[in-house]
Amino acid sequence: MSSYYSGIYLFVLLPLIALIYNLIPKKRQWFLLLANGFVYYLLGKLGIIYLIISILSVYFCALFIKKIDDKKELTLKNKDVDKKLIKKKSKTKKKLILTLCILLNLAFLIAFKYLGFFTTNINALLGLFNVDYQFEFVKLLAPIGISFYTLSALSYIIDVYNGKIEAEKSFVKVALFLSFFPQIMEGPITRFSDTAKELYAGAKICYHNLAFGYQRILYGYFKKKMIVDRLNPMVTTVFNDYSNLNGFTIFLGAVFYTFMLYMDFSGTMDIVVGTGQIFGINVPENFRQPFFSKNVSEFWTRWHITLGTWFKDYIYYPVSLSKPLKKLTKSLRKVLGNHYGPLVTGSVALMAVWFLNGLWHGAGYTFLLFGLFHFIMIVGGNFLEPLIIFICKKLHINRQNIVYRILQSVKMSLFVFYGEMIFRANSVTDLVGMTKGIFTRFTFNGTELLNLGIDIYDYIIIFIVFIFIFIMSLLKEKNIDVREKLANMKTWQRWLILYIFILIILIFGAYGPGYEPLDPIYADF
Amino acid sequence: MDKLIEILEGLQPEVDYEKVDNLIDGRYLDSLTILSLVSEIEDEFDVEIPTVEIIPENFNSAKKIWSLIEKLQED
Repeated sequence: MSSYYSGIYLFVLLPLIALIYNLIPKKRQWFLLLANGFVYYLLGKLGIIYLIISILSVYFCALFIKKIDDKKELTLKNKDVDKKLIKKKSKTKKKLILTLCILLNLAFLIAFKYLGFFTTNINALLGLFNVDYQFEFVKLLAPIGISFYTLSALSYIIDVYNGKIEAEKSFVKVALFLSFFPQIMEGPITRFSDTAKELYAGAKICYHNLAFGYQRILYGYFKKKMIVDRLNPMVTTVFNDYSNLNGFTIFLGAVFYTFMLYMDFSGTMDIVVGTGQIFGINVPENFRQPFFSKNVSEFWTRWHITLGTWFKDYIYYPVSLSKPLKKLTKSLRKVLGNHYGPLVTGSVALMAVWFLNGLWHGAGYTFLLFGLFHFIMIVGGNFLEPLIIFICKKLHINRQNIVYRILQSVKMSLFVFYGEMIFRANSVTDLVGMTKGIFTRFTFNGTELLNLGIDIYDYIIIFIVFIFIFIMSLLKEKNIDVREKLANMKTWQRWLILYIFILIILIFGAYGPGYEPLDPIYADF
Repeated sequence: MDKLIEILEGLQPEVDYEKVDNLIDGRYLDSLTILSLVSEIEDEFDVEIPTVEIIPENFNSAKKIWSLIEKLQED
């Protein structure tokens, strides 16, 4: 399976799975879902061995933690025991199991994803100090979706440790939760409580779910065929040959890349959520109209939501509310006040979050810079916030005013475009070159834009689709449910709209010579 | 409860805490305000809020925060 966008997956495999799913008894439906996940892993670079070891590790460690907890509760019932000591001993044991489990799963991630990067850098350092030894370069092929999978697995074991969820006795449920087939490549990073029950329960596929699911899948396919594959040649040319291009063209390349990434990732999520819906499973959403955000900080609560909440729950709060930092916040609040006091400690935690966020996306300096850039933007924004409030008050500017809100979104978008340029740049040297290009030769050259692998026809289609997506997002932002409205129309009207939509994808989608279907971008992370 | 509302108003005055029930989801309280809030609550009510309890379900309204405090005090 090369991608969820492939015709074989969407029009042959998925309907076939749905059909078989409906034919087998409800009690056994979970088996089909689990088998599917495992088959996809089998197809994807020998990931199955890793998957089984990892599932076994989190499953047994969670049960072990539960056993320690149960034993503690039982001992505490005895009045003659030192309760504090029992609690402390039990916590130490639990911590040990948790640490071992996390280390094992992280070791897989590091071995598959970061070994090459570390070897190159250590060898470079050794060379710098004239040490006559070089480590052998080992590049392992990472199983698909390992970064997404690992975070889900860690969330399960940490939640059990924290007593947020109970360790699941059924191995099948844990395995299903970690290997639900549409989520393997690009997430979303789900929590056990999100999907486990529904995955195991089984359900008859009903018309409503089938129609809504396929509608959603179609929308994802639309984004991919109309935008992603069409923009790809232009973006690739700009990022590879920026040195010969005008500043405006480079800037437009960064804007188009951001738009392409958004359409690609959110389009894949449409397919994942839509597939889940067919089987009656509510897969959590990963996007919520991110470009309507006021600032970069809000943007990241609306873009790749499940990654953001993962970092917030398992890194940001545990770090910023750790005992030493909590103490520091308390003292700093007395000196610096309610805004700047927590800002200092919050920034320490935020730095950890963005360092890990950069690293999570890939082993490379551009990704680390991407993290650093966002850290600076968010902390800078928080630092200046009281000043901006003060200025707006003095100048009688209403911050809820539509013009102010639009300007805020434009400013935020510019930062996001630059952030994504860092993300996509081939190297740090290229990033510097592109940045210089934007600022030193910012002129417009229409002919140049037509020599980047796409023609005027492509630009027109991109523009129209952009407007369409914008209107759809705006309606969603205003809580207007277009799909419900569509569902309430007469049958012939509904089918007419559907056929027109399919026809548009068939006629105006990017197919044929000149368009190379791009593999989902986030599947590489 | 009154004391809690007082703390909340001190941190973010522009919210009607009797009515709003999406303090986190509606972005009325950002993560920095949460850091201050946790520290103030811990001081005032002599409780320790574990990080696992910092979830929207526990912080979306003054009522919910109050229930959390009561639960922690019982423990």
